[in-house]
Amino acid sequence: MAVHPSTRPTAARGDRRPAPRRWVGTALLTLLAAVIGVAFLLPAVWMLLGSLRPGSEVIGSVSPLGWRTLVPDTWTLDNYSALFGQLGFGRSLANSLLVALVSVLLGLALSVPAAYALTVLRFPGREGVFALLVVGFMVPFEAIAIPMAQLFTQWHLDNTYVGLILPGIGNGLAIFNLRQFFRGVPSSLREAAIVDGAGEFRIMTRLYVPLSTTALINSALLIFLGQWSAYLWPLLLVSDQEKQVAAIAIARTFSDTEFNFGQMFGGALLISVVPAVLLLLLQRYFATSIASSGEKG
Amino acid sequence: MSAEAQEGTRRAAAQGRSGASPAAAPSSRPGRRPGRGRDLRTAVLFLGPALAAIVLLRLVPFAGAAWSTLFERVGVGLLAEQRFAGFANYQQLLSDPLFLGTLWRTIAFNLVINPVQIALAMAISVLLVQRLPGRGLWRVFVFVPCTVPLVGSSVAWGVALRQDGPVNGVLTALGLAPQPFFTSPQQALASIALVASWIGIGYWMLFLIGGLNDVNRELYEAASLDGAGRWRTFTSVTVPMMKRPLLFVLVADTVANFVLFVPVQLLTNGGPDQSTTMLMFDAYRRTYTYSQPNLGATAILILTLIMLAIVAVQFRLLKEED
Repeated sequence: MAVHPSTRPTAARGDRRPAPRRWVGTALLTLLAAVIGVAFLLPAVWMLLGSLRPGSEVIGSVSPLGWRTLVPDTWTLDNYSALFGQLGFGRSLANSLLVALVSVLLGLALSVPAAYALTVLRFPGREGVFALLVVGFMVPFEAIAIPMAQLFTQWHLDNTYVGLILPGIGNGLAIFNLRQFFRGVPSSLREAAIVDGAGEFRIMTRLYVPLSTTALINSALLIFLGQWSAYLWPLLLVSDQEKQVAAIAIARTFSDTEFNFGQMFGGALLISVVPAVLLLLLQRYFATSIASSGEKG
Repeated sequence: MSAEAQEGTRRAAAQGRSGASPAAAPSSRPGRRPGRGRDLRTAVLFLGPALAAIVLLRLVPFAGAAWSTLFERVGVGLLAEQRFAGFANYQQLLSDPLFLGTLWRTIAFNLVINPVQIALAMAISVLLVQRLPGRGLWRVFVFVPCTVPLVGSSVAWGVALRQDGPVNGVLTALGLAPQPFFTSPQQALASIALVASWIGIGYWMLFLIGGLNDVNRELYEAASLDGAGRWRTFTSVTVPMMKRPLLFVLVADTVANFVLFVPVQLLTNGGPDQSTTMLMFDAYRRTYTYSQPNLGATAILILTLIMLAIVAVQFRLLKEED
């Protein structure tokens, strides 16, 4: 599981040599790949273009079916100005961002020392604590969101940012990956630092953390994306519009009797932008960590 | 960035080798006086926040839910008085054909959707690691939907699969009958599966492509020297080498789909005719719509125990990779 992302591009480049190949086969496979790619992309494009036309035309343009079904004849940014204007969607987006970012900070502040202690310290019950943390946090918190929401209401954490943030800070895979990475740091380094008089906290922050950027980025992404797409929890915990997150705000516009599909598509795209940017920039860190190779098997 | 980290590790390792005294063998720690006692104190300090979090955010709510399954409400509503009822809630749920239907539907849904999603993700991954023109572009295309949160996918397909939506528009143009999708008991669950798969397949593909790139090239060369065809190479080299990533992704996918909630709540409300009611939604509806929190908690407990079993498998798979 030790993550070596930098070996990957080399492996990819080593793909089958451009040995003589039947052109027909390549052409057919390329066609297949293109058809599959377009099939996945098309609904997203339809949403994007739908958000740029008057709301009623999303369905209105279906018959007669033609290229105008996809491409607007009237282009407009009205949906977006309504979203950011009277619908207050900007506020919801900011709430989502705040909740996700603070969750990342708290989540790392919690997971890094835990993973460090579980890597370098020897104490009775270590593996048991490790299993408890990883398994406990790997069960999706949706599973116990309902009783937890009742508890949080008793604790007066409903309609608060703290209430939105707390359940998302624990992530089992984050702790697992961090420990996995920390184990790759030679223990002689830590011993040398101890001889030099460094304490554990200093060793962790100055030695282990800088050597583990991949695992840190990966853990941050896991926590961020978990919170960004959270739906059930804010649905149960928050009724105050001012504190509501973007995912629920979109669902609200969908359930309203008078829907405007253009606005809904605009909202759905807006909440996809942040994960899209993060994942496209950082996908290496994301993919490498979770399911690693069969090579070592 | 990762290359930097790599470089860092290597540098650190080199320093470590030269810096540590020969006596400092990896396992023994010479000259560490107070030893275990100090380790234990540090452990408590470092693990404290994580342990507090798991107790307060997982164990306490779980224990509370488990406890509340042993009570029933006298009267209706969330504020009604409670009295001890033993296992009456379990008896009631497990003899309720609607609940048993829900349980069975949840399991059947997962037995179908997870293997299908992973098989498709694997097929597309294998296709998109071939040297094809525009390979990177097709990968990005398949990957784009998984940046859309589930609520966005639900909105998109909720509109696309409307009676008067574009999918039926295409069907009609092809001379086929328009389909009811979410409004038909026969098609609603499959439509929910589509909502989840549009974003799910590209997501799992990301991991599988990572795994495929890690398969030793020499194995393929050996297979081709032995005259193995494409299919034979796939079944005797790729699949065995990918066994672990495939299993892991399958379990992780199951964990995600077992608590699938958004499209059910947003698009079908469990209907039509209960055809899309699954455990998570059932617990939600019992608690909030029917004001039966104790029965809701009982459903939650059953769901959580199933989840724990699946996650335990996932944990073992992770540990085996060491």
